[in-house]
Amino acid sequence: MTKTHDIGDVSNDGTGTMRDNYKGYLFILPALLMLVVILGFPALAAFLQSFNLMWVAKPGFSLGAYRALVDDAEFLHSLFNTVVFVVVVVSSHLVVGLSIALLLNMDIKFKWMWRVVAILPWTMPDVIGGLVWRFMFDTLPGIVNSVLLRTHLTTEPVDWLGQPGLAFFAVILAESWRGYPYVMLILLAGLQSIPRQQYEAAELDGCSALQKFMYVTMPNLKHMFIISLVLDTVWESRLFGMVYSMTGGGPGYSSQILTLLSYKQYFQFFNVSYGAAMAVVLATVLFFISLPYLRLSMRQQI
Amino acid sequence: MKKSNSMWVFIYGALAVMLVYNLTPFFWMVVSSFKSELEVVSYPATLLPNVFTTDAYEKIWLQEGFLLYFKNSLTVSLSTAALSSLVGIFAGYGFSRFRFKGRLAIMTAFLATQMIPGVLLVGPYFKMMTLTGLYDTLFGLILAQTSITLPFSVWMIKGYMDTVPIEIDQAAEVDGASRLQTLFLCIVPLVLPGLVATTIFAFLLSWGDLLWALCLISDPQKQTMTLGITQLVGQFRVYWSEIMAATVIASIIPACLYLVLQRYLVQGFTEAAVKE
Repeated sequence: MTKTHDIGDVSNDGTGTMRDNYKGYLFILPALLMLVVILGFPALAAFLQSFNLMWVAKPGFSLGAYRALVDDAEFLHSLFNTVVFVVVVVSSHLVVGLSIALLLNMDIKFKWMWRVVAILPWTMPDVIGGLVWRFMFDTLPGIVNSVLLRTHLTTEPVDWLGQPGLAFFAVILAESWRGYPYVMLILLAGLQSIPRQQYEAAELDGCSALQKFMYVTMPNLKHMFIISLVLDTVWESRLFGMVYSMTGGGPGYSSQILTLLSYKQYFQFFNVSYGAAMAVVLATVLFFISLPYLRLSMRQQI
Repeated sequence: MKKSNSMWVFIYGALAVMLVYNLTPFFWMVVSSFKSELEVVSYPATLLPNVFTTDAYEKIWLQEGFLLYFKNSLTVSLSTAALSSLVGIFAGYGFSRFRFKGRLAIMTAFLATQMIPGVLLVGPYFKMMTLTGLYDTLFGLILAQTSITLPFSVWMIKGYMDTVPIEIDQAAEVDGASRLQTLFLCIVPLVLPGLVATTIFAFLLSWGDLLWALCLISDPQKQTMTLGITQLVGQFRVYWSEIMAATVIASIIPACLYLVLQRYLVQGFTEAAVKE
């Protein structure tokens, strides 16, 4: 898609442009230093904290935090919730995102306007989205119940955020709405990069619209699909603000997710190594999930 | 590709459904913010305000200190975006134009750190800030939020610079320009649209953050918009019209910026993240 210039060849063509390759270190130095100080070091510290080795009350190697995790019903429930949340939300993002990307890739009128509308939900910060949806799901003055009552789908207002299963469902609905344009944008970029000739050839061979979709669109979108799947999974697993502002993890811990629980353990209950251990578990899982994306991205580098 | 009329009806019908789906929360937010304190919680809910009032806006601006939160958010997000873009310009150029040992490994490190969840970093970061006296300062918050934006800024800017032909560098060198001159006089002007997109994207990530502000700021005078809004949600009573007015204000800037940016955003994804 993008033409990348093979700089490796230039250094051998006799112009000597690349003799100063060592200067590359100077250019990346500020960023690298920041990476080490504000990302590398805290990540390492959290890892050590989870083993009770650093910045804890009584330092000394211990697997206590991890052992306790296994028996902690709230942690297990939050882990389960995180998995359900990510699977449902990301799948809905892929389905809705692909459908709308396909629509926007057609020769529609006012394309620019439709595209703007399609991106809007994603422009709302997740904390803000959480509050807006919290009010929409409010039992009495909320718009959701108003619509349900007016269309006679229910006879009594539903207590969306006050019941364990429903509250979690409401959060899933809210984030399904907010996050899909991100996936849509990536898939749309993929659709736009498919050469028209492939469709023309398929038409010559007498393919139906469905066949074109199955044999031209889908194979071409494969990379973009993997990328949006991985990136969205990572984003949604790290989600914090929306659940914090919409339900706070409640009622009880029925809509709690790992990020929120780790924060509470660390900053509200001061169980430093326990909170850190949860974050380490989450980070480890995310690292393995992102491996296909890392490999894809690095393969394109010279 | 020719489509039948019924096909077009289906397509525009689907687009109309998307329109309603996407806009309903925005509609509800804006409408509620113009209702009175009483009407907003009346039952059954009114679709449009019976009495149109800007009370909620006046209240949060004048009484609740949102003017200050707004300023704080602007300061923090602008600085975060500027810092990560400035550092990113140098690093992007370094990765794009030089072939040094460990280059791929370091680039992988930048990419992989993008996957680190904030909750892993924020605890130790809190400790680091207390030890250095940066806890409860906007500067500390700016540094912290740069951890969200730096990795992708570097990658996006590098992606944009890869699209600039190497012949430009060579011509500049022939003319006697130093590497720094080449970067700022030749390359930066050529990737300016991409640079602007990267900066705005960093701004938006910082603008929408809650976790870092929540953990690193306790002084009410230093709260950001998002933090201020969550504090508005009272323990006993929730003033929804005020909260909705605050959310409108907090959403306007990102919505406008995304709309200006949307063309570049897609380009940014294709060039930095999804190059094939």
